[in-house]
Amino acid sequence: MSALRVPGLPRTVLRLHRPALIVWGAFVAALIGWLVWLNTVTSSAGERERAYCDHHETCNILDQLNYGQRTVWVATLVCYSSLAVAAWAGASLIGRELESGTAQLAWTQGVSPARWLAAKLAVPALLTTLGCTALVLAYRRAWSAHPGLRDGDWTSVTTFVARGPATVAYALCALALGALTALLLRRTLPALGVSLAATWALHFALERFREHLWPSVTRVTATEDVWPRHVWQLESGTIEHGHRVAHAGGSPCEGNPAQVKQCADKLDITGYYQVYHPRSHYWPLHLVESGIVLAVAALATVLAFRLLPRRTRAARKESLA
Amino acid sequence: MTDTTGFALEAAAVGKRFGRRRGSGGWALRDCGFRLPAGRVCAVVGPNGAGKSTLLALAAGLLVPTEGRVTVLGTDPASARARVGFVAQDKPLYPHLTVAETLRMGADLNPRRWDAPTAERIVADGDLGPKTRIRALSGGQRTRVALALALAKRPELLLLDEPMADLDPLARHELMGVLMAQAAQYGTTIVMSSHVVAELEGSCDHLLLIGGGRVRLAGEIDELLEAHVRVSGLAQTSLAPHTVVESRTTGRQLSALIRPAGPLPEGLRTSAPSLEELVLSYLRNPQAPGTTPAEAASESEKATL
Amino acid sequence: MTALDIKAPVTARGGGESAGLAAVLLRLHRPALVVWALLVALTSALLLWAHGPGADAAHAEWLRICDGGEPCTWGGAITDYYRARTLAEAVVAVLPLPVAAWAGAALIGRELESGTAHLAWTQGASPARWLTAKLALPAALLTTGSALLVVLHSLLAATAPFPYDWRWHSQNLPSDGALALVNPFLGLALGALAGLVLRRSLPALAVAVAVTEAVLATTGCLRNPHASSPSWPLRLVETGLVLAVAAAAAVIAFRLLRRRTV
Repeated sequence: MSALRVPGLPRTVLRLHRPALIVWGAFVAALIGWLVWLNTVTSSAGERERAYCDHHETCNILDQLNYGQRTVWVATLVCYSSLAVAAWAGASLIGRELESGTAQLAWTQGVSPARWLAAKLAVPALLTTLGCTALVLAYRRAWSAHPGLRDGDWTSVTTFVARGPATVAYALCALALGALTALLLRRTLPALGVSLAATWALHFALERFREHLWPSVTRVTATEDVWPRHVWQLESGTIEHGHRVAHAGGSPCEGNPAQVKQCADKLDITGYYQVYHPRSHYWPLHLVESGIVLAVAALATVLAFRLLPRRTRAARKESLA
Repeated sequence: MTDTTGFALEAAAVGKRFGRRRGSGGWALRDCGFRLPAGRVCAVVGPNGAGKSTLLALAAGLLVPTEGRVTVLGTDPASARARVGFVAQDKPLYPHLTVAETLRMGADLNPRRWDAPTAERIVADGDLGPKTRIRALSGGQRTRVALALALAKRPELLLLDEPMADLDPLARHELMGVLMAQAAQYGTTIVMSSHVVAELEGSCDHLLLIGGGRVRLAGEIDELLEAHVRVSGLAQTSLAPHTVVESRTTGRQLSALIRPAGPLPEGLRTSAPSLEELVLSYLRNPQAPGTTPAEAASESEKATL
Repeated sequence: MTALDIKAPVTARGGGESAGLAAVLLRLHRPALVVWALLVALTSALLLWAHGPGADAAHAEWLRICDGGEPCTWGGAITDYYRARTLAEAVVAVLPLPVAAWAGAALIGRELESGTAHLAWTQGASPARWLTAKLALPAALLTTGSALLVVLHSLLAATAPFPYDWRWHSQNLPSDGALALVNPFLGLALGALAGLVLRRSLPALAVAVAVTEAVLATTGCLRNPHASSPSWPLRLVETGLVLAVAAAAAVIAFRLLRRRTV
């Protein structure tokens, strides 16, 4: 079967998964189109509203809110597109072939299991990378276009991922996790559920520990100060008796400067501190997260290849005979 | 002689079409008519793609005919479903259930008429562990479970689509025996499609030959065999008034399978065909005109005159 | 003779047949049943915790940090309460989608794809009864679980441990009342219809999820997204629409089945 020899193998993968390819292409196109719409039609309406609001007492902010909210929706879709990739990889790409026996058919037709899995992973990896890169670039442009209308900062959960290569990393990891669970479970629907859950868990875990991925900055001041602009606020409080005491709700001392000083002396407050990530930490945090996700992807891929049946020497001899 | 207990399965001008744009217009069956008396063991024979599975699915009430009408046990197939047993060609079973759970499912779905000892016996004869999951069974073992499910339902009509395909010769023989015993003891009508004609010859008394979506032959095997004659003679011999199913000329010798419509010409050597030869001749010659029981009976009467 | 322990049930009438069919379905879809039970249990536990200890701790924290005043930066216990409540609400909001996926794939699509539906139909469950049971049993289980969650959530929503406009936050979520009960039916009915039409599990899964999300988003658009609390007539209309679509999908499914097999 010449279709299964090397150059034809990627072609076979594309032919087999054409519906998914079409859906992915449509998804990317639709999101980019939506971003374009938001940044032309909706944003101009929003800017008009904002100009109006600057000169009037009361005004409508509907368009601005729309712009902000919908841009966040796009970020959510971009960030979590990896979940759909995971479900598809576990079920359609690998799981269904193992369950129905068509994978074994390919393996006995002259394609070694390793080459089969490599092609099965490489072709979607390439296409998801291209698609996700396009989405990330489009989103970055959209995000910086109208800062006045924006909802949320660089620290927002999904915006954080959607503005950089972590999106691509998550999608690749989703592919690897899907393949791994499919090889473990060998059944379509369980593989779908488990790979979806695993990818979601990865997102969840990294979201919770994101702030710890890079050392934060601590600023100590003698008097209480406001937060610097555009930082990711982590912790703030007072320094009493030489120890840091966190105060989530603002300082314990209120009032005019004299009252504040009196209160501070009573509590033995020697300073105030703030712990945060400045804006410049975006890329280090983002790249560390991408690195972790890629490491998980690599591990999952290696394990997946380990789970493939190996062709023994005897079997190879038989196939040559 | 018509059977007074009625017909188990009747088809009148039945046609079934899937889709609209395919080659032959998508007709899997066209203008099929036959009558199967109750209590018979009928063999359904035909090449792949002839429409055997479609016919059985229509009789089981799983499909609706595009044309014509199917009558099962005197009523429409949907109403008769409770009294009909069906085993599809791929023997679908739930892969994650165990053997015992599968049989219990049958008991749960047929609370009034479940014959647990029969099911148990068929499964036990194959040495199937009750806790084995279906997905761990071989093809032949799954056939056993599927047959057990169909038989324990105590059906009046049993429709089997290539039931013996996965079985080894020993198991085939044994299960054939189970089926024949069922037919003998309860008068179950059995309709079985198969490729192995030789096996059917001993156990079946009725034949339904389907080719190209049409019924080519239908009737009692004995009557059909009587209605056909194998002849051989000189190449120039004219077989004119008789219906020729298949004829071959090698050199100066002519050999043919015919349905005599009167006395045979002089100088022909005749012999009786076997069922396999009969079936193969019809299968090799799709254009030969078929016959129904009434025609076969009248033709054989004429031939003996 | 191996002991297969198969007993024919003693009951003889139609009730026995329905009970038998229900038993078969429960055995067949045991994994889904377990997942649903776990989900309901965990979400209920979350809601109960938030209602009891969580609210108490959040209230105490609020008094301590915010001094009883309004705007202040949240602390640990307040954030925990917030997270628990919003997670529970998110579970209820998102529920129709996995239900649609499961209904399209495992409940109906896989059976038609592999031919086991034919097995059921020739083993004593007519197609109509089969589909009825396949819809009724999950619907009953979904209703029971959702009802429990709705009751617990309304208990929770009755007393707020600190001032916060929960209604603004959750006005897009159906956690309270009829919508939370009705939305899973939509997923179930659309999933079953997709499975019947497409006869393959994965396409049915994808289509069911997509269509369910589309219907929910469209009917949700009825609500003005920036009103602080949607009026109850609007909610009624929305509930009615969702029910109507679910009912229509179920009717179409039955018609389709009838046209194919009876």
